[in-house]
Amino acid sequence: MSDIPRMNDIRSEVVRMLIDVVGEDFLLDVEIGPGTTFGDDLGLESIEFVALVDRLRAHYGDRADFPGFIAGLDLDQLVNLTVGDVVDHIAAQERAHA
Amino acid sequence: MPEVTARGLRFHVQECGTGPPVVVFVHGLAIDNLSSFYYTLASPVAEVGARCVLYDLRGHGLTERTPTGYGVSDAVADLFAVLDALGHYRVHLVGYSFGGAVALNAALAHPGRVAGLVLIDAHGPGDGPGWNEDFLNRLAQSALKLEHERIADQLLAFGERRMSRVAATADALLNRTTLLDDLAAMDPVRPAQLTTLSCPVLAVYGQHSDVADAGRLILRHVPDCALHTMAGHTHFVLPAGTAEILEVLLPWLAHHAGTRVPAAGAAR
Repeated sequence: MSDIPRMNDIRSEVVRMLIDVVGEDFLLDVEIGPGTTFGDDLGLESIEFVALVDRLRAHYGDRADFPGFIAGLDLDQLVNLTVGDVVDHIAAQERAHA
Repeated sequence: MPEVTARGLRFHVQECGTGPPVVVFVHGLAIDNLSSFYYTLASPVAEVGARCVLYDLRGHGLTERTPTGYGVSDAVADLFAVLDALGHYRVHLVGYSFGGAVALNAALAHPGRVAGLVLIDAHGPGDGPGWNEDFLNRLAQSALKLEHERIADQLLAFGERRMSRVAATADALLNRTTLLDDLAAMDPVRPAQLTTLSCPVLAVYGQHSDVADAGRLILRHVPDCALHTMAGHTHFVLPAGTAEILEVLLPWLAHHAGTRVPAAGAAR
């Protein structure tokens, strides 16, 4: 069963890390929800997504296995990856290691 | 951001997997950075038992941009300085496009430090005058367009943030550094030099690539060489050709670098 308050916390943390990577000014104009894509909606450069993954790893630790998560996606899935996909992955890993 | 300081510059570096062997990825010019390997070849190579090192070349990706120092000899010095900072001595190099030229020149400059070379649609080899004229002309045309048509600003106005940032990086490199002059001063790697390469080489070229002649020179002159031609592909073999490259790269690394033999059909 998903833990809604925890999911909201994780989403806030992910958005904070996004702001670190792309800057607050840009994100002020964008409403970020679970369906927001990193590519089309946020216009994240691929190297910025690498930087975001670094922050996610630093925050959630290697047990969240982001390299494995990314390696498991094909290119279409990567391009269409959403904020919700990342939040779900983190929450699932936390439940698995709880 | 993981980074190392080498030759007084901050280089963005990513490492994954455990080795030995150590496999170092060297990306292409201007619009390229380490992410093109990060999302394609690095994870599968790490999975078969290699320590993968990816870094952004000077002025590219998240590495510092300097006004000068974009020639191949500086790029080779940068590469070995980054490896020194990370504590890696003998490595396998995988280079794409200009990164292939860097890898090839690195193997010629320090044969004791390069155990094997994978050259993916690599620039560098040439046997006559004007060997890289087309390449330089294309870059110069891009430089003019980026500056005079203010492409980065226009893309941003259309809401294309990602492409705008890619264009802005290319504009800064091509119009506000010595990169074009440094490349114009670059010498080709001639057949006589190719014959002296002591390490095994895997060359992978697109069938319709504008640098396919370089692949043929490598096959003809490098003593220990395999050439794989990618049917239907142009110079831009990544990311579209990722699965096909892995099908030749992983068995080659298993044979020459001692990584695990991948399970059949494991390459995506």
